[in-house]
Amino acid sequence: MTIPLAPQAALLVGVLSALSLGLLRRPPPSALRGVAIGSVVSAALLALQAPIGDAGSTAILITDAKSVGWLYLICLGALPLALWDDGTDDVFTALFLGSLLGMSLLASAANLPMLFIGLEFMSLPAYLLVARSRPGARALEAAVKYFFAGGVAGALFLLGLSLYYADTRSLAFSGTLTPLGQAGAALMAACALFKLGAFPLNWWLPDAYEAAAPEVSGFLSTAMKSAAVLFLMRLCELAPEARFAAFLPAIGAVTALTGAILALRQQNLQRLFAYSSISHAGLLIIGVGAWAAAGRSADGVTALLFFLGVYAFMSNGVFAFIKHSGLETRAQLKGRGPALAVPAVAFTVLLFSLGGIPPTGGFLAKLLVLWRAVDADLLWPAIAGGVSALISLAYYLGMTRDLWFEAPSGPAPKPGPGAALVIACAAGALLLGAAPWFMSGLIGTIWP
Amino acid sequence: MSKLALFALAVNFLVVLGITGLFANAGKLFGPRPVHKGDADLPYETGLPPLAPAHERMTVSYWRYAVLFVVFDVDLAFLLLWALSKPVLDLMSMLVITGFIAIVMLMLAYFWRKGVLECN
Repeated sequence: MTIPLAPQAALLVGVLSALSLGLLRRPPPSALRGVAIGSVVSAALLALQAPIGDAGSTAILITDAKSVGWLYLICLGALPLALWDDGTDDVFTALFLGSLLGMSLLASAANLPMLFIGLEFMSLPAYLLVARSRPGARALEAAVKYFFAGGVAGALFLLGLSLYYADTRSLAFSGTLTPLGQAGAALMAACALFKLGAFPLNWWLPDAYEAAAPEVSGFLSTAMKSAAVLFLMRLCELAPEARFAAFLPAIGAVTALTGAILALRQQNLQRLFAYSSISHAGLLIIGVGAWAAAGRSADGVTALLFFLGVYAFMSNGVFAFIKHSGLETRAQLKGRGPALAVPAVAFTVLLFSLGGIPPTGGFLAKLLVLWRAVDADLLWPAIAGGVSALISLAYYLGMTRDLWFEAPSGPAPKPGPGAALVIACAAGALLLGAAPWFMSGLIGTIWP
Repeated sequence: MSKLALFALAVNFLVVLGITGLFANAGKLFGPRPVHKGDADLPYETGLPPLAPAHERMTVSYWRYAVLFVVFDVDLAFLLLWALSKPVLDLMSMLVITGFIAIVMLMLAYFWRKGVLECN
């Protein structure tokens, strides 16, 4: 017997358990950690048995192949934050699981208002996660900036939805769209691009990623980005006559280039990886544009799924290294490689993977996405994506040189826990590059 | 809409603006000029000099109560919708709404426990 919305139910139970534990005078940290990790793992396991197709659908929530695939991605991106959760703050655990619940609802959304509900449900806890993750005014300021940016994005979506509805009288599928409906669809796409960090709308992203704790930034850059990509894809599906999809490759190309170029000057590590995240988001937008241009086939989805899976390992791994080592700036990286030994080797593997150097997963991910773009006759965006990857090598290889070939300056911060997580993420990125059939085996269970 | 109807709407709009503007500024336009002399402009506090500025800082806990009200009001909205659409109560809908109310009561217990409902 398969239960259709079981992963969502598991995450809901997790949120309620975290809050119920908060009712106790001294909630035991191990119980909160168990709730966090248990909810994420059980959501991923329950997604294995979800019935794909119409069997489990209601009018507003569906369980189709993409929603199950993205549930895996979201749980994969969220697992490191669940592992980092030290169980002392019940509100933090509840917020994190609430954001996951919102993402899972977004993944199963069947019509546009449900997509919006999922979007806001996943975003509001994320603002608070950024605010609570580190004590001090910087995290609060970043959370306020993130909140206003997200609020504007939500307002854009609602305006777009109302214009779209005024034109088509439908909340899900459209026939031919007049310019009113096209404007509505374009506004909704602007909301999705806001969340992804596309070119003109990415000003909130570096501040939020820099000021939040590294593990929260890892969560935002992986799980939230996967959900935002699915959001964009669902928009392309639910409004198939809209013409905004034709502009996505150009926006993606510009985003990839600006992210790569702006990262060259960054000294703060978290800010640098935020710009790197913007650059990867640009490649993802090119991928979504290629998928839409090629008639929304399953091959394009496979490329995006693989990219997001590898990116979950890479991004969580680098942020875990930042948290484990306690290093904050590129200058502090100098010469720390031999002292940090195995985690530093893992970090180097992750940097190579982010840069797209062959035996790692990052190379294969970029190759697949850019291949899809070239297949769809999007030559210039693909070239721009490749050039952005080339530019990004400057800082990835630069950081590798800083780590291993420079002399250390000043005392080193003491490394904290989490070495195993860094090594596991690097192993995952390497494995997916050397043996990508692990991921394709999983994808094969969803698209037989 | 026909051109005549649009013209009538525009005229109506201008007349409304004109009348409200007239009423709002009537004192300034037609009344005596105010004489700023001595301490006649200060707020009246039984003849004493004002003890504190009139615009005090608002406590943020008022906002917190407003947010709590909105949250439970939305809960009520869902309950009303359920009550209106389920005239015949079968067991499943009762269980569903009981579950919903249980979650909202958990929220209330959490707020109570965390001291949000204290006034000090």
